[in-house]
Amino acid sequence: MEEVVKINIDGKEVEVPAGINLIDAAEIAGIHIPNLCYMKGMKGVGACRLCLVEVEGLKAPVIACNTKVRDNMIVKTKTERVQEVRKFVIDLLLSMHPLDCMTCTKSGICNLQKYAYEFELKESSFTRKKFGYPVDAANPFIKRDPDYCILCGRCVRVCKEQGTNVLDFMGRGIESKVVTANDRPLQESECTFCGSCVDACPVNALLEADRWRKGREWEYEKYNSVCMLCGCACEIKVSVREGDIQKINSGAKDGSVEKYLCAYGRFGFDSLRAESRLSTPLKRVNGELKETTWEDAINIVSTKLKEAGKNTCIISSASITNEDAITLKRFATEVLKTQNIGSTISLYSDPKVFKNSGKADINSSDLIIVIGLNLSQWDRVLPAIDAAVRKRVNRGAKLIVINEAETGLSTVASINLRGNEIESIKAIITALKQSGAEIDKQTEEYLSDVREITEEITKSAGMILNAKSPLILVSPELFNAASNLALIKGDIIAVYPESNARGVALMGIETESKSYAEMTDSKYSLLYIAGNVPLQNRPDTDFLIVQNSYMNDIAKNADIVLPVAEYLETSGTIIDYAGRIKHLNRAIDSHGKSKSHREIFREIAKKMGTTLKMPVESEIKKAADVKAKISAMPFEKTKNLHFEPDKFIETLNLTVINNSRLIWLKEAFEVKAEK
Amino acid sequence: MKVEEIDVDNEVGEVSEILSQNEKTKGILIHVLQQIQEDMGYLPDEVLRKLSKKLNIPLSEIYSVASFYKMFHFKPRGKKVVRVCLGTACYVRGSKKVLNMLENEFGIKSGDTTEDLTMTLETVGCVGCCGLAPVATINDNVVGEIIGNKKLEKLIDDIRE
Repeated sequence: MEEVVKINIDGKEVEVPAGINLIDAAEIAGIHIPNLCYMKGMKGVGACRLCLVEVEGLKAPVIACNTKVRDNMIVKTKTERVQEVRKFVIDLLLSMHPLDCMTCTKSGICNLQKYAYEFELKESSFTRKKFGYPVDAANPFIKRDPDYCILCGRCVRVCKEQGTNVLDFMGRGIESKVVTANDRPLQESECTFCGSCVDACPVNALLEADRWRKGREWEYEKYNSVCMLCGCACEIKVSVREGDIQKINSGAKDGSVEKYLCAYGRFGFDSLRAESRLSTPLKRVNGELKETTWEDAINIVSTKLKEAGKNTCIISSASITNEDAITLKRFATEVLKTQNIGSTISLYSDPKVFKNSGKADINSSDLIIVIGLNLSQWDRVLPAIDAAVRKRVNRGAKLIVINEAETGLSTVASINLRGNEIESIKAIITALKQSGAEIDKQTEEYLSDVREITEEITKSAGMILNAKSPLILVSPELFNAASNLALIKGDIIAVYPESNARGVALMGIETESKSYAEMTDSKYSLLYIAGNVPLQNRPDTDFLIVQNSYMNDIAKNADIVLPVAEYLETSGTIIDYAGRIKHLNRAIDSHGKSKSHREIFREIAKKMGTTLKMPVESEIKKAADVKAKISAMPFEKTKNLHFEPDKFIETLNLTVINNSRLIWLKEAFEVKAEK
Repeated sequence: MKVEEIDVDNEVGEVSEILSQNEKTKGILIHVLQQIQEDMGYLPDEVLRKLSKKLNIPLSEIYSVASFYKMFHFKPRGKKVVRVCLGTACYVRGSKKVLNMLENEFGIKSGDTTEDLTMTLETVGCVGCCGLAPVATINDNVVGEIIGNKKLEKLIDDIRE
């Protein structure tokens, strides 16, 4: 049981968890303590002095963000004395802040505006100070306007906590300024353009670069959804005005280490309106792809499917929703009666891994063990997971990195175990055994010829024994080997490049007869590709159907192209790497005449004489609810699952990158790499 | 001191045993910056970049720390550092004129360095010898009572010397 303390805030008696600060405690009591610099989940720094409250028994007011609750504490948050101080703070801030709320993009969600309103300050009573700092708007993602900055340091702290370390204060006193190292433009720093600083900024100092006259907060319809561009499957909040997406923010709840969204997820939505977006079905006439109607396209597809019969093969991407996956599975078994159905999952994982991969919350783990993964925000390998691990470490968790070579995370790890991962795991288990941990009999049988137990191995084992809830993040190829460790203690989760791999596998699309590679290499009379797969050349087939959102290389080589709605244009569910069901909400209408995967499968099925049942939430829940069963496994890498995650993720997102402002980023990075 | 040669344990001294590696590198930062500035006259960007890797301290943090102190410089300094006093006594006796004249003569603003690195022009609050106002210093030498063209020309000659 969590320890609780009783406190009294503004006359309200509440029980709150011990050890939390007064701002969080007041929130539980339903009282808001004004603040500009506090960020939930992070240590309070007391920069803004706005959260001052009075505590009975103390002479001077204290800052609520950095004062912990004590039993029987009596707190007053709205006394005349603290209100006066707060008003003074806002008054001072206003003296150097532009008073252009009428045209300011942040109007409506600006905290300074909110408090100025509350304290009835139309303007500052001090002499106005204007800095006239240059604006950094040389990139298409983030605009930095230091004239609006109130030096709360929220951007500096998020940037530091997630390990990007781009922003910091420079100078001191009135001349301090939040800048990159040596005050260079963002693109000349190590910035990844994730935009976490934009989400953190309480005023108009950091903003999406293209927001000018694209509407303000109250004009937007908001949709909670999920980014499906990589295996992080980040929660997002989509802002829509007049049927178009204006911006996307991180949708994770405040205080969670998962509150992060990379540049792809935040800025890639430009591609939805790109020219290469498919808007109508296309069919090949005299060697050229020509526009056609849905009716015609579905007619052709159903005829061809009938002709091909058992000699049909379907390959699906794992970036489709659970509903799409279930419908596809039904389509294959009930209509086509084929077993030749597979997905991109087999390129990097054994589908069985997803049945045994656990459920856990990275927010509550106190020891993270990363095995065989080169997570990186800079190379865009599961950037949100990289950021979450770094944040957990900054909030006190320990980190053990087990990897063949040095990884980006090595610099923040408590222990780095280089060299063969399997050997390291075996050594740790042996060390655990020596310290008296109970080892599975089967594991012990597999555990032979262990190399020398180094000091670092012993230390790692000690950390595991002392941890309350260790979490193992592992690449799918090492899942089996690492299972032996999880069998002793902790949760184990496989992480992988595609957003809904776990969902697609659990919904029943797995390699039953052949793997993806075998399917694309062998000859079928009909090949049906659903979603974005890393194929560029047309495989050897008589008839190729491509169901995709963009005109990419493989679509150009197809006989029939069916336009699909993008993830921001569909509703549904996915299962993320940690086993959580996440909901997508349709934010905008489908582009042109495109339809969702499931609609297309159902229409083809209908044409072929079968009505497919609509997937319902209960069956998804049931399919997702597998009891993870970890068992002792031989200590070896699963064969043929090795892939280059950075290249793989880039290939999957190529259409998004090439058709949005992300192309700028790619080019800028290439220039940097050349230097 | 070359960045490559920094021996953190040695530099931190006696307390090194009770400090974590992280605390050690943080604690050593200002000493190293002082040393670099002494050797090179300023803190060159490429050296700070190397330092950031070596100490595993983010470059932005190094700049943040260094920029807090007036004594650190990020640009090369002139051979002669000229400081014109703008303290009250000097100001009323016309030090602003001295400053303007130097700015015109060398074509730079206060805080800048001439391209040929002959001199860096700065202002200072008070040098502590108000009886000699208006005062300027060239490196560590005080030049007092800079009144009239002759004195001004002498000052310029001394700087150019």
